Parts: sequence; C-alpha cells; structure tokens
Amino acid sequence: MSPLTITTRDADTGPVLEITGDLDHHTAPELRKAVDGVTVDVGQLLVLDLAGLDFCDSSGISALLAARNAAIESGGHIALAAVPANTARILGIVGLDQVFSLHPDAATATGRSSAAS
Amino acid sequence: MMCRTDQSVPEPGEEQDVDATDAVFTALLEDSAEELYEQAPCGYLSTLMDGTIAKINATLLEWLGLERSQVVGRMRFTDLLTVGGKLYHETHFAPLLQMKGEVSGIALDIKTADKQRMPVLVTSKVKTSEEGEPMLIRTTVFDARDRRAYEMELLRGRQAAEEARRQSEADRARLQEALAVLQQSLLPAELPVVPGLEAGSYYHTASPDLLGGDFYDLFPLGGGQWAFFLGDVCGKGPQAAAVTSLARYTLRAAALHDPDPVSVLTTLNTVLHERYASGEGRYCTAIFGVLQPADGRVRLHLASGGHPSALIQRADGSADYLPTPGGLLVGVLPQAPFTAARTDLLPGDTLLLYTDGLTEARTGPERELYGDDALRAFTAAQPPAGPQSLITALSGLLASFGDGLDDDTALLALGVPSLPSIASEDLTT
Repeated sequence: MSPLTITTRDADTGPVLEITGDLDHHTAPELRKAVDGVTVDVGQLLVLDLAGLDFCDSSGISALLAARNAAIESGGHIALAAVPANTARILGIVGLDQVFSLHPDAATATGRSSAAS
Repeated sequence: MMCRTDQSVPEPGEEQDVDATDAVFTALLEDSAEELYEQAPCGYLSTLMDGTIAKINATLLEWLGLERSQVVGRMRFTDLLTVGGKLYHETHFAPLLQMKGEVSGIALDIKTADKQRMPVLVTSKVKTSEEGEPMLIRTTVFDARDRRAYEMELLRGRQAAEEARRQSEADRARLQEALAVLQQSLLPAELPVVPGLEAGSYYHTASPDLLGGDFYDLFPLGGGQWAFFLGDVCGKGPQAAAVTSLARYTLRAAALHDPDPVSVLTTLNTVLHERYASGEGRYCTAIFGVLQPADGRVRLHLASGGHPSALIQRADGSADYLPTPGGLLVGVLPQAPFTAARTDLLPGDTLLLYTDGLTEARTGPERELYGDDALRAFTAAQPPAGPQSLITALSGLLASFGDGLDDDTALLALGVPSLPSIASEDLTT
C-alpha cells in the first residue's frame, strides 16, 4: 500500500495531473477532489499522468471516468499518459481503451494534442 | 546618600516593625506542640506493642466519634478497624510492622461510632528503647475519603469505557449482520432447479465491513428458455450495493421484455447512464446470457459488457474461453458496444462465469497475477464432473489464495449433465 499523491501542473494543452501511489476505494475521492480543483477550458485537454500509479482497482477506474466526465462537461477532452501495464490490461478488459485516448507519456500527450488543435 | 560607618542606631521605627511581625506570627502559629498534636490535620495514635491504645489525638477521636475515655486503655488499634481491615491488619500489616519496624501508606477502613466506614491511609512506626527493645507503635492516620472517591471515579470511568467498548462491539456485530443480510439480498437465496441443466454458485466476501458489488442470477424466461447473468459493480460499499440492486432488477425486467443479450445489456446501460448521469457515475461489468435446451444440447447465447470472458469446460477435458472482446463497461457511454457470442453446451460441458477477484488474485511470494491462463489450465485439469464439482474445486482454489485474494469473487457454473453411461449402453444394445 502506498499513499496517493497528486501533483497538478499546467501544460500548453491544459492541466496535467501526475498521479502516484494507489488509486483505490480509499483514495479515489482524492482524485475527484483534485479534478474539481483544476479548470479545463473549452477545447483543452486534461492529462492524467499515471507513470507513478502503483495500483488501480475498480473504484480507481470509476474515478478516472469521473475525471473524464468532468473534462467533457466543461467542453474539454481527457487523455491518459504512461498507463502502467497492469492498469492498461484492465482498461482493455472493460473496454475503456476505446474511451480514453492513451499516450506513452505525458510529453506525447500534451505535444500531440497541441499539434492536433 | 549617608555613609556613616559608625551607624549602630537603627532607623526610627525599624525595631518596632520587627516586633509587630513576630507578634502576628506567634498568634498564627501553634503555640504548643500539644496543640499541634491534638488538632493536626491527621490522626495520631500511639499503642503498646499488643495494640492497646495509649494515646490518641482529638482529630482521630472526632473522625471516630468517640470519647478519649472510651478509647485509651480500653481499645486496641484493630478495634477501630472494619472486619476486612482487621483481617488485613492481622495478615499483612502487623507481620510487616514486626519485620521492618514500619509500614507506610496502607489503605484501611476504620469504622466510626455511627457505623460508617471511613477510608484512611495508615503509616506506623515502632519506637524502640536505647537498647533496641520495641516499646510502642506510633501511627498516623490520613483521611483518604477524597482519594477513595477519586479512585472510585477512576474505576467508574474505566467501567464506563468497558461498557462503551462492549456497546461498540455489539454495534459492529449488528452492522455486520445487517450488511450480510443486505449482501445476501443481492444474490439469489438458492439457484432454481432448471430441467436438463445443473447449476452451482459461490460467493467469496473479501471484507465483512464493505458490501461487495458482485452479483449473479439464474431465472426462467418461459418457453423452456432460461436466462443468467453475472456482473461486478465498480467500487464497494453501500453506493455500490445500490447499483448492484438496480442492475439485478433491471437485467431481470429487461430479459422478460426482450431476451436478446445485447438488447438486455443495452437497456442496463441506458438505465445506469441516465440514473447516474449527473454527478458521480456508477458502472458495472456484466455477462448476460440465454440458454435454450434443444436436441440433447443447450444453445448458449451471451453478451458481455466489459466483463472477463466466460470459460467453458468441455466434456473431453479441454477448457476454452468464449471470447467477447470489445464490450464496454456498462453505464459509461450513452450508446455502448456490447459483444455477443454463441456456442452449444453438450452433455458434460460446463460454462463458468466469474468476477475478476479470481483472475486478479495474487499468488506466490512474488504476488504474481493469477491470470486467465492459470484459470484455464486449472479448469482443464479438473475432471469434467459438472458445475457443483467445478465450483467446489474453484472455491478450494480461492481459499488457497489466502490474502492474495482481496476482492469479492462470485462464481456461477451452468452445465449440461453427462449422459448416464448405462443409458448410452442401452442405446447401443
């Protein structure tokens, strides 16, 4: 068990949340709070950088989806960066690889998006 | 400034001040040792070596409510004590005093003339002659009523804390019982008897404090068709349980309306997406399927929304997944893709549905993922002896995971009974 820490920074494309530690039933509300604390403007991209994510259960998946809903409601998009293999596998089982755009790392996510917009 | 070195005469008035202060002190202080002895804020008592009271102060007499003439030369120290105090004096106090020459701070109760008991702290010391012979025992008696009251208060506090702990344990037990009942209400009490089909199920609860979100059911659709589902709500606790309940009844109702598996999952998706559209979303994975017995086999048609693939143990001893790739977690999008699959179950075949507690379990010292391949190999290694037998083997497997299994896990197995060997012989002869 490792505690969840979330660091927020701004890229040209929009906010980037670096998520490290365990995202589970106990810590998922922290991600929701962090997402509530950032502003995603219309057309902006919310990037969740999961490079430091140690563990993600179904409550964590729900929190990722809550972040997606928040981004879309404010007219933006969401992307997951550096998804650890185990979480990527679970996202594949539940079909969410069709719902989230996945990037190898945060730099690619923010770079690609700005090139596309 | 004056600096006469020969100044021996005090400043006027100085000596008078000193005299006045002395007078005040004298008035305030005990003017005699006798006064101090009699009116001291503790009891004093001198006894002969046999305990006969030789001298006692006024403070102690007042506590006792006795006259000096009733006590001195007539009573022993032990006569002042309660029965319990007498006993303690005899067994502990006196021997200790004899051995060490003094005892200090012993808690005893003295009895007063009006039959009250008064807690005191007693200290005694033996006075010896110059030759070392014991002559008498000097005893001080301190009023310990406040102290005893404080101790009683501590004791009461401790009892209250014990009571609170008992209460909280009882509350916890009641909560767990309520949670267990609620959990049970999310699952069928027992699976129905389906003609031409065998069924088995198992539910592993990871935590008695947290309602799990796994669910399953098996029910008739009419016309000889049966429907089944098994799913897993994202998250835990009462909110997840509420979704479990909603999902279960939605699936049953939708199946009666139109049993096509993709249609049923689409209905559930619409319900979940709309119900939880505002605010926090709620999602589940699910496999829903329909069984149609026909010609000695059972036609199986199922669909999955983000749920791990069903596994089929064949009568020939093989085991293979029935893949349903691309189906989406239910409730995420307003329109979601669900993937259907069909197969036939022949006599001796068993369909296994499970939640990912099983495949996501961690095993071994490295806590490696148990995984799909291990589950298939395990199932293939079991004799094809029907759903109950497979469920028994798998519940044993779950138990063997120990703390590597930290999620709720539901299992549902449905199988077509093997043809009795006697019947097949009858057919051939």
